[in-house]
Amino acid sequence: MEERMRILEDLNMIYIRQIALSLQDSDIQKKIDHEIRMREGTCKLLGACSQKDQALEASKSLLTCNTRILAYMSELQRMKEAQILQRATRRPSDSAPLDERLPCKGKVAISDLRIPLMWKDTEYFKNKGELHRCAVFCILQLGGEIHDTDMVMVDRTMTDICFDSTIIFQEACPGFELRMELYSCCSEDESSTGSASRKLASKLGSSLSRSSGKKFRSGLEPGGGSPVSNGGGAPLLLPAPSNSGPKYHLLAHTSLVMAHVQDAFRTHDLSITGNEECSYWLPLYGSACCRLVAQPRCMTEQMMSGRLKVKHLGGDSQSCKTTYSVLRGTKLFCYLQEDNVEAEVEPAFTIAINKETRIRATDKDPHGKAQSICISNRYGGEEVTHVLSAERREDTQRWMEAFWQHFYDMSQWKQCCDDLMKINVPLPRKPTAVMTKQGSLYHEMIIDTSDDIGTVTDILARRVKEESFLSHPEGPLHWMSLFGESPPPSHSLQGAGLSPHLYCRSPRDPGRHQRGQLSDSPGSPLFPRSRPRTLSLDAKLSSLRGRGYGSSPAQAPQPIPSCSSSTSSHSSSEGSTASETDSVPFPRSTTARSSLRNLRAKLDPRNWLQSQV
Amino acid sequence: MSFIPGQPVTAVVQRIEICKLRQCDNLILGFSIGGGIDQDPGQNPFSEDKTDKGIYVTRVSKGGPAEAAGLMIGDKIMQVNGWDMTMVTHDQARKRLTKKNEDVVRLLVTRKSLEDAVRNAMV
Repeated sequence: MEERMRILEDLNMIYIRQIALSLQDSDIQKKIDHEIRMREGTCKLLGACSQKDQALEASKSLLTCNTRILAYMSELQRMKEAQILQRATRRPSDSAPLDERLPCKGKVAISDLRIPLMWKDTEYFKNKGELHRCAVFCILQLGGEIHDTDMVMVDRTMTDICFDSTIIFQEACPGFELRMELYSCCSEDESSTGSASRKLASKLGSSLSRSSGKKFRSGLEPGGGSPVSNGGGAPLLLPAPSNSGPKYHLLAHTSLVMAHVQDAFRTHDLSITGNEECSYWLPLYGSACCRLVAQPRCMTEQMMSGRLKVKHLGGDSQSCKTTYSVLRGTKLFCYLQEDNVEAEVEPAFTIAINKETRIRATDKDPHGKAQSICISNRYGGEEVTHVLSAERREDTQRWMEAFWQHFYDMSQWKQCCDDLMKINVPLPRKPTAVMTKQGSLYHEMIIDTSDDIGTVTDILARRVKEESFLSHPEGPLHWMSLFGESPPPSHSLQGAGLSPHLYCRSPRDPGRHQRGQLSDSPGSPLFPRSRPRTLSLDAKLSSLRGRGYGSSPAQAPQPIPSCSSSTSSHSSSEGSTASETDSVPFPRSTTARSSLRNLRAKLDPRNWLQSQV
Repeated sequence: MSFIPGQPVTAVVQRIEICKLRQCDNLILGFSIGGGIDQDPGQNPFSEDKTDKGIYVTRVSKGGPAEAAGLMIGDKIMQVNGWDMTMVTHDQARKRLTKKNEDVVRLLVTRKSLEDAVRNAMV
């Protein structure tokens, strides 16, 4: 069996290589080779790995590789067909439409993909029973580019499937179709790797032959090994090597086109395949929310540049200005000198070129050497006209051609050319540690001491000071002498520049506000936020007493009720600072009090909390 | 800007895009929020309707990213990156704004001056 499949594979590869050679296109062939090598490696990894997470990731890469291979192969087939057709009909060169314009390509980016789920309310509150988890990811395909998102584990504690990745497709035409497919794979607690299923099969005894026979049969069927359904496009299907890893199934799909592009978040409908009986089923709400933007090249790149004489008709000065002009986006930028462009100096003036602009070439001087171009815009109720003339006739022709192409691009890309849509390329950052979710949604309620309004103004003010601090390395350290005890072992001192972050629990002493309070914002990585802090107040109070602080334990709970009654309109933290009695408090001893105080403040409905973000 | 249960909420909004400022390990936006469905709406100094439990901007730090993006004190935040903010708790709102893996937040905010401007323009 394996032998036959390997022979088939080799034959396919030879065929593909022949096609690629005849097309003299080594680009696609290289890509196919690369993908096939990736696939072989992934299959080996899949067979070798023991952990479920690795198996899921490997299976996901396998699926992506298969999809890419199929896409490249159909591309090859299409190119081959086109070549044969061209040779057969032998079109004369002059009948090839020369004036058929092609719109410029552009970048399309999709980000913040979110798919809401619709669990039954009984599912939300079920605390017993094993958590039915699914591993899901998306494959996004535009033209020949296929990208996949990261894999996300979904269980009934999640209300949405969120994919954080931003996916950018480089070469998209205005008539693009972005196909999004959501794949999911059930991952039960019993491991789904091959060894476990084999164990099970051996236990069942008589059904062993049936189950293994099925596996072989599915492996031999064309396209049966790969779950990607191919709509009859590619005649050759490389049978994927049969593997015993977790299999992903198509759960939902949708197609997005340019009409869906907008510089905002939009919701789109999903077509769901599969039903409740499938193991990979997830109760999808039926829509997907995302931000789909497009940046056509005409908006981001210089379409045309050159020297032009610009005259503003009807203006105060009728004189001609010699400029170096650049056509980009919806404007024609006119700089006084060519090097102003690189120097990013403001242009002398800009002329709008948009859908309402009218451009025509005038033959002011038919015997003369130059034509000129008239650009008219309507600003409000007035019509403003500029006359451009180039040095030579050919230059004017080229400018006209560039304008026509630009108008064509804008008509094809429609709403994408109104304004430049921004694409955020997320900076590569360290992978965040995965926090284990604790079952119920209500465990997400974090109680922390993050409401220090003065912190951010301090941060902003300190930015200036930090430069001077860097030159005096002992600068930021002087306030650390306040802390009598050594830092707790879980925090590490990272150096002078980062010392403001040493302690996360900020006492509310106004005297300390100037001393580099650290940020208690949720962005701090030092304290993973998974459960409400349940500090034993008794333990803290007894340690307080032990340190001979004079403040009686009965005093500790008292600031709390006084704080809630003293806040009438604004920050609850300001009310609490008034009740701080210790002069040099240790951060840890005030932690219990401040967290308890904050808890009270948060839960008291008479307060109107404010948070710094 | 309050809501009538059962009726859709409509408002004239302005889009504000804030790029978070990275300060060592933190990402800050430079403003404070107040409000939420778990808070007392009567104490909101910025809302017109004292039963409005939406999320309001109570302070904008000078020189911060929010001020640079055009956020003003008293704005009501309707949406953050596509997530609704008209019916959330205070803590949920804070978390939606302070996600560590996002560098940019896109808000839809509304304020009385916007409504007035549109109304005057239509007259």
